[in-house]
Amino acid sequence: MTGVDTASRSINVKSLLSKYAIVWVTLLVFIFLSASTDAFLSADNLRNILDQQSVVLIVAAFTTIVLISGGFDVSLGAIYILAPLVALRVQNNINSAWLTLLAGILVGLIAGLLNGVIVAYGRINSFIATLATSFIFFGIAYLVSDGTILRVTDITMREVVTTRILGLTSATWIAFAVVAIAWITLDRTRFGRYIFSVGGNFEAARLAGVRTNRVVVAAFVLAGAGAGLAGTLNSIRSVTAQASDDFSIIFAVIAAVVVGGTSIAGGSGAIWRSVVGVFFIAFIVNGFNLNGVDPVYQRIIQGAVILTAVGADAWSRRDKS
Amino acid sequence: MDLEVRSVSKRFGATIALDNVNLKIASGTIHSLIGENGAGKSTLGKILSGVYQLDSGEVELAGQAVTIGSPREALSRGITIIAQELSLVPSRSAADNVYLGIEDHAGPWVRRGVIKDRFEELTKTSGIIVPNDRPVSALSIGDQQKVEILRALARNAEVIVMDEPTARLSVEETAVLKDVMRSLRDQGKTIIFVSHFLGDVLDVSDAITIMRDGKIIRTSKPSEETHDSLVEAMTGRKAGEAFPAKTPPNSPAPVLEVNGLTRGMQFADISFTVGAGEIVALAGLVGSGRSEVARAIYGADPFDSGEVKLQGSVIKISHPATAIENGIAMIPESRKDQGLILDRSIRENISLPYLKKLSRLLMKRREENSMVAENFAAAGIRALSSEMTVRSLSGGNQQKALFARSLAGHPTLFIADEPTRGVDVGSKRAIYELLADLAQKGMAVLVISSELDEVVGLAHRVIVMQTGRIVTELVGDQISESAVVSAAFSMKQREGLAS
Repeated sequence: MTGVDTASRSINVKSLLSKYAIVWVTLLVFIFLSASTDAFLSADNLRNILDQQSVVLIVAAFTTIVLISGGFDVSLGAIYILAPLVALRVQNNINSAWLTLLAGILVGLIAGLLNGVIVAYGRINSFIATLATSFIFFGIAYLVSDGTILRVTDITMREVVTTRILGLTSATWIAFAVVAIAWITLDRTRFGRYIFSVGGNFEAARLAGVRTNRVVVAAFVLAGAGAGLAGTLNSIRSVTAQASDDFSIIFAVIAAVVVGGTSIAGGSGAIWRSVVGVFFIAFIVNGFNLNGVDPVYQRIIQGAVILTAVGADAWSRRDKS
Repeated sequence: MDLEVRSVSKRFGATIALDNVNLKIASGTIHSLIGENGAGKSTLGKILSGVYQLDSGEVELAGQAVTIGSPREALSRGITIIAQELSLVPSRSAADNVYLGIEDHAGPWVRRGVIKDRFEELTKTSGIIVPNDRPVSALSIGDQQKVEILRALARNAEVIVMDEPTARLSVEETAVLKDVMRSLRDQGKTIIFVSHFLGDVLDVSDAITIMRDGKIIRTSKPSEETHDSLVEAMTGRKAGEAFPAKTPPNSPAPVLEVNGLTRGMQFADISFTVGAGEIVALAGLVGSGRSEVARAIYGADPFDSGEVKLQGSVIKISHPATAIENGIAMIPESRKDQGLILDRSIRENISLPYLKKLSRLLMKRREENSMVAENFAAAGIRALSSEMTVRSLSGGNQQKALFARSLAGHPTLFIADEPTRGVDVGSKRAIYELLADLAQKGMAVLVISSELDEVVGLAHRVIVMQTGRIVTELVGDQISESAVVSAAFSMKQREGLAS
């Protein structure tokens, strides 16, 4: 019996190390930067990081759910651009911050519905399907904006994202709320169970009576809505939006989710992992900026870091099987 | 190149697949290996061709003891296997497949002309003709098999193991394949023919080795054997001891009534009933349509025509969810591919179909836990806790987890497709008792099994299928392994039985 006990204890230590590896590594980065870089550990800097990452967190939370369900959504970058353009059209007519946000969410929701239906009922690989719908969404974005820059006409609207509550911006709080909702949804609801089962074994889930197609659609709808909200928040903060805006957030998001340890094969992952992944990358980028590293090298190093993190994860999983 | 197997044993976990087997296979013959599922015939074929490694004993080739550590090493010694599942590159032509990995090349360039010439030469000398102008995916299964044989020949194979090569072939294709086998033998090749099809075995073999429970019963000439003598030797053992006593119900009320169920090429005009408290087995060869019928009843696949009645009323089942709501449970054929979410806990796997009842806005964990605990115990799962991932369980306990899931729905109809596949002996017995117990409690139980002893030992009634149709129904004393085998294998035997 004693032998069994010690064996299981040593496995526990090992699994604590490997299971939470990304947490330890992120903590190390945090400690290293706190010690090496003066400006890093200041309220202003940390607040800024949180504020900047708010939109990334929102998109990452639901991207995690799509990935766990066994899907992949690259169109979130396009939805992130399209939704605020429609939303600002609404704002220009009805001057309400909440209606503007709602419009952005609604656009994302509809776009996500399209993605989900194509993937679930059209049986098209989700990467290819969302790559294709990206083009469509970008095209519509140009149509909606006539290729011009749309502006927030009422500057007071920015308060919806910039108001300070307990020292943090409202955008940060919205992100926290979204992350919390995604977390609870995945961990505590029936839908969360369905997501894991569909991503873990689609056919087994179906034979167990799970309406698998509906689950897949719902995952894409949530992700679209999240991207719509995030894009609209971002545009309100920057007061403008145009179809040619930077959509690379989707790459940052996927990198963060995967670095966090959610498998692109589906069936496993967690919201907290993606949150940690977002901050892991944010800290590194922030550290580079504070130390004046040339952005060109930043990107190269960032790519190498992501490969290392994911590679290490793949190695540790290989032992398991 | 004579082949000799000496005291070869092989275990898979707790299962002894080969138990001290001795066998001589003469060069230039067609040597058949027959036996029930699990008798060890495929295992032996796979050991000779390097797919599996033996645990003890030795293989001698032309009088020399040799090691066969991998398919590649087997091939270097002139032995290869043509497996049940063909391993061709579907989008390439026959010649490309035949010379895959051994292409003639000049630097990085494949010499297509030379390959074409060699391919034509090979088809000429072997007499095996296949079209080379299209991808192999466009060829019939029979032609694809010929491509595999050509591939073996192109690699100078002297001994070819064929594992159930006729299982997926039509009658005509089987005849062609048998001609190919004979002509290969006449060219001096040795063919080890692993097959369920006794007619083909008697027709084509020079020698037949009958196996049972990992042992060799006898090796004889086909002239010394008949269909019946083979069946007897294959099944030999008295059924029954391993099974709980049968208690068939008196005139059971039908729970399930299937009328004229038909779907495309897979099954046609399937009608039968399963009564309360009754265990009915669907028997027949793999591919005879048994699983397909069960899946259609469960709503996993659609059907074209016919109806399914549950307790007297026609039900329309378009999705397994509806089946579960109507009190139908099914344990699918492959627990890993179709049954379990391997990386989730036992608890989540058991409760998955019932989450609507177990949640409002959030999961009701307490209710879930009590449902899981109850059925975890009822199914006799042996695990430290229900929070362990299903992946970490043995095959038997994984299967019991599926039973626990099904039981939790208190079904009136319980379908189990190959309930003991890949399960150790102890768990097998437990699963048999579980099934008998369910029937005793009044459930209608439909079992699909390729294990003859299981069918005979468990079922109150046996429905035998062949190529998508019901060929016979056996009740009470009519149920015996030889009766089931005869019905499943040969049309002539079936008529004999029916009279």
